[in-house]
Amino acid sequence: MADDSQRNFRSVYYEKVGFRGVEEKKSLEILLKDDRLDIEKLCTFSQRFPLPSMYRILVWKVLLGIIPPHHESHALVMKYRKEQYWDIHHALHVIRFINDSTPQVDVFLRIHQLESGKLPRSLAFPLEPEDEVFLAIAKAMEEMVEDPIECYWLVSCFVNQLNSKHKDSLQQLPKILEQYLNIEDNRLLMHLKACAAMSKLPYDLWFKKCFAGCLPESSLQRVWDKVISGSCKILVFVAVEILLTFKMKIIALNTAEKITQFLENIPQDNTDAIVSKAVDLWRTHCGTPAHSV
Amino acid sequence: MAQQGNVGELLSMLDSPVLGVLEDITAAFKDNLICDRGPMLVNNLVDYYLETNSQQALHILSTLQEPHDKHLLDKINEYMGKAATRLPTLSLLGHVIRRQPSWKHKLSQAPLLLSLLKCLKTDTDVVVLTTGVLVLITMLPMIPQSGKQYLHDFFGIFGRLSAWCLQNPGHVAEIYLVHLHASVYALFHRLYGMYPCNFVSFLRSHYSMKENLETFEEVVKPMMEHVRIHPELVTGSKDHELDPRRWKRLETHDVVIECAKISLDPAEASYEDGYYSVSRKLCTSSKHHQTDPSASYYIDTQSSYGTSTPYSTPRLTLSQMPGQLPQILSPQSIRLSTEPQQVTIWSPSAVCGMTTPPTSPGIVPSESSQSSSQPYSKAFGTSGGKGTPLGTPATSPPPCTSDDFVHISLPSAAATPPKKEDKTDPGRPLLYRQQNVINSDKSLGKLNTPSSKSSVTLSDLPEFLGGLSFEDSAEKDREEDAISKEISEITTDAEHMVPRGGFDSPFYRTNESLSGSQKKTHSVVSTVQGHSQTSEPLTSSLDKPGPESARETPKQTFTPIDKPCGGSGESPAGNREGTSGETSILTPSPCKVPAQRRVVFGSGQPPQYEHLFEVALPKTAYLFVGKKTEELLKKAKGTQDDDCMSSTSPVEVLDRLIQQGADAHTKELNKLSLPSKSADWTHFGGSPPSDEIHTLRNQLLLLHNQLLYERFKRQQHALRNRRLLRKVIKATALEEHNAAMKDQLKLQEKEIQALKLSLQKEQARYHQFQEEHENIVAQLHSQIRQLQHDREEFYNQSQELQTKLEDCRNMIADLRLELKKANNKVCHTELLLSQVSQKLSNSESVQQQMEFLNRQLLVLGEVNELYLEQLQHKHTDTTKEVEMLNAAFRKELEKAKLCVQQQSQRLDASQKRIAELESQLAKKDHLFLEQKKYLEDVKIQARGQLQAVESRYKAQKRITQAFELEILDLFGRLEKSSLLKKLEDDKTEAAEAAEERLDCGNEDAVAGYSEETIGRNGETKPPSTRGSSSSKGGSSSELSTPEKPQNQRFSSRWETSMLLEPSTTLPLTVGSLPSSKSFLGMKARELFRNKSESQCDEEGVTINRLSDALKTELCKDPSMETKAPPSPDNLSLSPKIQESSVGQLHIMDYNETHHDHKG
Repeated sequence: MADDSQRNFRSVYYEKVGFRGVEEKKSLEILLKDDRLDIEKLCTFSQRFPLPSMYRILVWKVLLGIIPPHHESHALVMKYRKEQYWDIHHALHVIRFINDSTPQVDVFLRIHQLESGKLPRSLAFPLEPEDEVFLAIAKAMEEMVEDPIECYWLVSCFVNQLNSKHKDSLQQLPKILEQYLNIEDNRLLMHLKACAAMSKLPYDLWFKKCFAGCLPESSLQRVWDKVISGSCKILVFVAVEILLTFKMKIIALNTAEKITQFLENIPQDNTDAIVSKAVDLWRTHCGTPAHSV
Repeated sequence: MAQQGNVGELLSMLDSPVLGVLEDITAAFKDNLICDRGPMLVNNLVDYYLETNSQQALHILSTLQEPHDKHLLDKINEYMGKAATRLPTLSLLGHVIRRQPSWKHKLSQAPLLLSLLKCLKTDTDVVVLTTGVLVLITMLPMIPQSGKQYLHDFFGIFGRLSAWCLQNPGHVAEIYLVHLHASVYALFHRLYGMYPCNFVSFLRSHYSMKENLETFEEVVKPMMEHVRIHPELVTGSKDHELDPRRWKRLETHDVVIECAKISLDPAEASYEDGYYSVSRKLCTSSKHHQTDPSASYYIDTQSSYGTSTPYSTPRLTLSQMPGQLPQILSPQSIRLSTEPQQVTIWSPSAVCGMTTPPTSPGIVPSESSQSSSQPYSKAFGTSGGKGTPLGTPATSPPPCTSDDFVHISLPSAAATPPKKEDKTDPGRPLLYRQQNVINSDKSLGKLNTPSSKSSVTLSDLPEFLGGLSFEDSAEKDREEDAISKEISEITTDAEHMVPRGGFDSPFYRTNESLSGSQKKTHSVVSTVQGHSQTSEPLTSSLDKPGPESARETPKQTFTPIDKPCGGSGESPAGNREGTSGETSILTPSPCKVPAQRRVVFGSGQPPQYEHLFEVALPKTAYLFVGKKTEELLKKAKGTQDDDCMSSTSPVEVLDRLIQQGADAHTKELNKLSLPSKSADWTHFGGSPPSDEIHTLRNQLLLLHNQLLYERFKRQQHALRNRRLLRKVIKATALEEHNAAMKDQLKLQEKEIQALKLSLQKEQARYHQFQEEHENIVAQLHSQIRQLQHDREEFYNQSQELQTKLEDCRNMIADLRLELKKANNKVCHTELLLSQVSQKLSNSESVQQQMEFLNRQLLVLGEVNELYLEQLQHKHTDTTKEVEMLNAAFRKELEKAKLCVQQQSQRLDASQKRIAELESQLAKKDHLFLEQKKYLEDVKIQARGQLQAVESRYKAQKRITQAFELEILDLFGRLEKSSLLKKLEDDKTEAAEAAEERLDCGNEDAVAGYSEETIGRNGETKPPSTRGSSSSKGGSSSELSTPEKPQNQRFSSRWETSMLLEPSTTLPLTVGSLPSSKSFLGMKARELFRNKSESQCDEEGVTINRLSDALKTELCKDPSMETKAPPSPDNLSLSPKIQESSVGQLHIMDYNETHHDHKG
């Protein structure tokens, strides 16, 4: 609690009055000043507050282990990362998997494949579903991060985290979604069930791709903050909130195909509100977000 | 010029007698005027008019529209300059102006006005002057404000002409002067009416000069007697009356009426706006004060004139002018007849002003003398067609002298009417006309001298008149006698009048006309008026059933009061009609007046008036009843004598002149036979001498001008009249509207009252309801209060109960607590009990021990006592020893004490040391911890870096794998292609190689060789395609078959040698490798096979692969180039050796398996 002494004593009241995130930037800066970054604290912070965009990439990199918690080694590690990237890039260039005109996202995918030893023998090989997921996430991440190397590492680590850390919980998410939807809006659930649409909801898009390509980047960042900091349940609440927001339209639609079609292409105008509501919902249902997974 | 000719033709056709042509031509002219804006046509028209005096041309000219006015005015101006054409030009101008063209405002700017003024200032021709003055007078109200710049010109003209009237520098005929005088008089009125201040100041300055004084006395002063003081003289100023604002809201006719209002002259005056009523009242009252009977007579005269003249004159004109007269004349006649009427209306005021009526008789003769001085001619007759009836009075009044007055006044009045009724035939006029002619002849003859010797001054007139009347009276006596006789007869029998008609009607007419001309004069007239008054009901009764009127009139006639009463009653009525609207007077048709009259009579007016009269003027009534004829006579005479003072207006003079002229003319006419009257005109025209004709013509012209001027005035009056009528209609409509509104108001007030009543009722009801409501509310409130009270009570109760309940609960809790406590206590006591019991048992055991110890103590005590006894036995011999011992012990004690001290000091020191060391230890520990932490930190840091490095390393591995794959792939392809090429060449070489191998090879070698081949096959095969496991399998199976049967080794070797190309080229030195190589190849094949299935032990695989790669490199070296780097060889040696040792085991295994397989 040494941090608190440095924090503005008014910060307590800010939140009471309804201002969020007034003091967060400052506290985050304090957190980031520690020489050995406390990853636990960063996780908690990221869960509790929205990240300021200027520190988001740094926090993500730390949380995903791209850079170590020590400031000293950041430069070195990043250098390694960079070299590694360029090595692989070069290798792929040599074996003619990529060339200068290859889209960045494909380059990322190939690098990732090579790194994980899953590089196909030929370019002509069809993409695996996991590759599709990678591509979607990479596309979204490309919008958020400017530096291609950072971007690659973020995507790669993010996907790895999803595949390793959240693999089991991701499979549970559809069930949890149904459960929370039942709590929030029974009627909508009934309707979806009546349409037999529950099984056909775009779970891949929602949970495997983590809404990449579904929400605009500005909203997506806030969702991913939570995912990267370790909570993949937020995905469920985002999905629930999407369903609730477009409840009227969904109820108007009768077939599962139409509903799926609609949900895959939801209007992008008030996604910020959806995400905010989803975060609120997530907080109410999962209590203190620090301990939820 | 063609047009010019055309115009000429048109002009010639303008006076065509054919109506159709006439219209066409007129239309053509108008079209031309519209199309052509040039002055030519107008000029031609003016020329033509001046030449021919064409009415059509005049019509066209007078209706000219805007663009042509300038040409017309220019042309007129041009002709005005020439003396010869001046007169017709002026008359043309007069015509045009009287039309009131739309461009009349331009007149003030036109040079024409200047030239007109110049002409008026300089010309010496009376006719031109008179015409010009009339034109000017007509023009003045049209240009009231723009004409102000010429004010002094106007005034100058007035001064000049007024002087002219007196001095007559041109020595023209006096008859002209009358006209001139009349026109100057009109100018006076106009100027005084329009610019009073300026005019008066002019008069003041002009007539203050001595040379002008006479003119003033003679001419101007009498004129001034006919005007009232202009209000502007009081309120206005010179500048104010020239202010455009003053004129802006006045139209032409307004100006004319304004001027007329100022006039006191009955011929000129107008009675709007209460002027009249005042003057009227004045005159009536004054008259009554003065001489009541006479006054009443005067009133009578007025009334009688006002009413009777209209009927008589038109009728006369009609009868006397059998269609011959031009149309203009008839209105003129009416005009003439109406004027007298106005005069009659006004006369009383004039009388009251002067109280000298008899001047007029004097004037009449004078006029007649003038006219008679010239022989009567048809020239006079033309205009005097209507003048004839008027002419008669000139002669007839003298007969009606004071002598006859009494007789006639009463009886004849009643008697005459029926006669006239009967006698409205043409025959009768003839009779009296003859008489008139005779009379006039006589009078003229007598009056010749006075008229010739002096200019007709108004002051002279009475004398003339007097003379005339006296002369005439002799002649008239006859008639009067006869009349008186007849009257006496009539009084007895009203129906007896027929024979008298011949006499009476002319008489009546003469009276009437006389009175018309004379106005308000002496008593003779008033008596005549008595007649006329009676005649008036008669005339009205012409239209009515005769008997009725006859019956009514007699009643009135008997008493002189009655008549005046009736007359006075009527006269106001008549006057009112005349004044209020002038309609009755101005309407040319007599029918209207009779209608009104009838109403008056039918409604029983006379009694009403009588009554009023009695009430209002009882004195006069008495007087009338008391004194009848003689008094009246006396007064009449008296008045007659008095009235020589009054001045007559020039208009009257002119009127009289005309009348006389007309009379003379009728007399002339009467000499001729009736039917040939029209023819006679020409006949007359031929005979008289030319200068007379000229004079007469001029006179006629002047008269015409005068007439036109009067007509213009009439038009203005008519205009005004129409407007006033409209106002009256509006006013009545508004009054009705007001009345209706009042009714509505009343109704609404009633409604409001009713509503108020109902409102009160409703309010009362409302109050009642409110009270009830309040009562109910109060009740309910009380109920609520009660209920609330109850509720509170209950609430209190419940609270009490609740408190009780809580108390109970508390008690229960307390009790429970107590119970718990008790339980606790019980438990505690139980515990205590057990403890106590334990203690008890303990104490028992202790007691036992105590007892045992006591016993021991006792035993020990006994033993001690025994030892003490022994000691005491020994003690005596050891005292020295004891002392020695004591000392030794003391020393020892001291030593021990020192030692103790030392020990304690050491202890302190060591303790301090320990503390120091402990603190150091803690520091060390801390340091150690820090070091640990740091180490941890560093470790973590290193781990992070290591991880990065590791991942990099892994990536590198992946890269190399990928490269390997790629290379192998490429090799596979390369080998495949080269294999096919060298297939044949390699056959022999392969055989040789086989032989060599047979020589040096043993069983193992063979086996190894076979294995080697297999390994080679395996080597070559796998990289071909990673996915095509089928081919791999195929190859392996294919290759494995030769292994199994040992006999077929050669054949198999053949085959293999056929397949393998690099093996043949392998040197022997490298031959040592095959075994391991073959093993490795096998291993690699296995691993490749396994790899797709599981990647569990990647490291092994990678190692194998590495070795594989090295092998392939080695294999390649001889075939391709001897540039195989030594470093990789050396590098690969160590793992190879390791592997080979392991590989041996594997070979063994493999061989075993193989053997097993074989077996």
